[in-house]
Amino acid sequence: MDYEALMEMAVQAGEIMLISGAEVYRVEDTIGRILEKSGLENRDVFVLTTGIVATLSDPCVPAITVVRRVSKRSTNLNRIARVNDISRRFCGGQITMDEARKQINDAAKENQYRFREKFVGYVMVTCFFAVLFSGGIRECAAAAFAGGFLALAVYGTSMLRLNDFCQNAAGSFVLALTASAFREYIFPGLNMDAVIISGIMPLVPGVTFTSAIRDTLNGDYSSGVARMAEAVVVALAVASGVGAAMMLVRMMGGAV
Amino acid sequence: MRELAVQSAAAFLAVFGFSIILDAPKKYLLYAGLAGGAGWLAYLLVLSADMSLIAAAFASSLAAAVLSHLFARGLKAPVTVFLVAGILPTVPGASIYRCVYYLIQGTTELSTYYLVQTFQIAGAMAMAIFIVDSLFRLVLTRSVWRASGDKGSSAPDCSSIHDQTDDLQQKHLPH
Repeated sequence: MDYEALMEMAVQAGEIMLISGAEVYRVEDTIGRILEKSGLENRDVFVLTTGIVATLSDPCVPAITVVRRVSKRSTNLNRIARVNDISRRFCGGQITMDEARKQINDAAKENQYRFREKFVGYVMVTCFFAVLFSGGIRECAAAAFAGGFLALAVYGTSMLRLNDFCQNAAGSFVLALTASAFREYIFPGLNMDAVIISGIMPLVPGVTFTSAIRDTLNGDYSSGVARMAEAVVVALAVASGVGAAMMLVRMMGGAV
Repeated sequence: MRELAVQSAAAFLAVFGFSIILDAPKKYLLYAGLAGGAGWLAYLLVLSADMSLIAAAFASSLAAAVLSHLFARGLKAPVTVFLVAGILPTVPGASIYRCVYYLIQGTTELSTYYLVQTFQIAGAMAMAIFIVDSLFRLVLTRSVWRASGDKGSSAPDCSSIHDQTDDLQQKHLPH
């Protein structure tokens, strides 16, 4: 068996999962299972939220070690599911290594939704969250529009290749401005708080924070702490975007 | 009663939309939405029984996590696909935002209040998910042991257990 090719494939699979936002233990597990196919004695995998280290060694062959740095991360559940499925079929012996490598490369390129569909997703989240925060028809309408502008802002800043902090801050800035405009010109007496809270729902790191505590309970302390820091940074970005918009509105003489 | 139905439907649609943002596979969008709707229904039911926010968050994640695990096993997909979006309605996103917002505004008492609330809700949810994970892992481990017992001492077949649920601490038999 070509151990180097196996190693390359395992790390590639792990990298795609990590970039797509999979949990650290899931990545370790997948790489470990693929490496298990080598039948070598020592297979050590160490994954952090920002990188992968894997080693294959045996008394009879020279050790192979691969280090992979992962810097950019954004959630893509489809890729996680695809890679997971490919590695399961590979481990089950249903596909060969070449087929698995090809499919993993395909999975890395696959994009399911176009911007149009994502836009609808943003509008759905903000509009229906307004219902959950006991908003009326007016709040839902305002939140839906705010969500649309939020999607445009996030898309625009990602085209400019700005970092996540700026993307979140710009998105929530635009969102809070839209909400204030609605209250000023269209629905006086609008419940701004409900609109803004529903509007930031697509950005806000509630899931990250919950996963941080889950990781910690699982014994993955480094990943737990890293996620918690990530949640705080995202929340800071969102809050400063909203705060800046509020300040601007106040300066222009609007009610907040 | 009508309020319950409307809110659960709204939670379903919100989670459906959020799954699109997270690039969930198209064929699983409905299932993720169902997990979210069921979670929110549990949340409302517990709140209407005059229990605390923490108990409600706990019950809600319990419902969402059980459904997600069942979907994951039935559809042979990783549980994350359903769970991440499914817990969205209860997740303390608003609290963590308010905590930082008041911190920037300089209103320390409110900031602390929401920080504590964030930890309470996230902690309750994480506990619920953790419990469900462990229970499903327990069931899975037992079935694997039984299967490998039938085959004698041969190496375990990794395809039968591979990652349909979060079986990270799954210990393998030696070769």
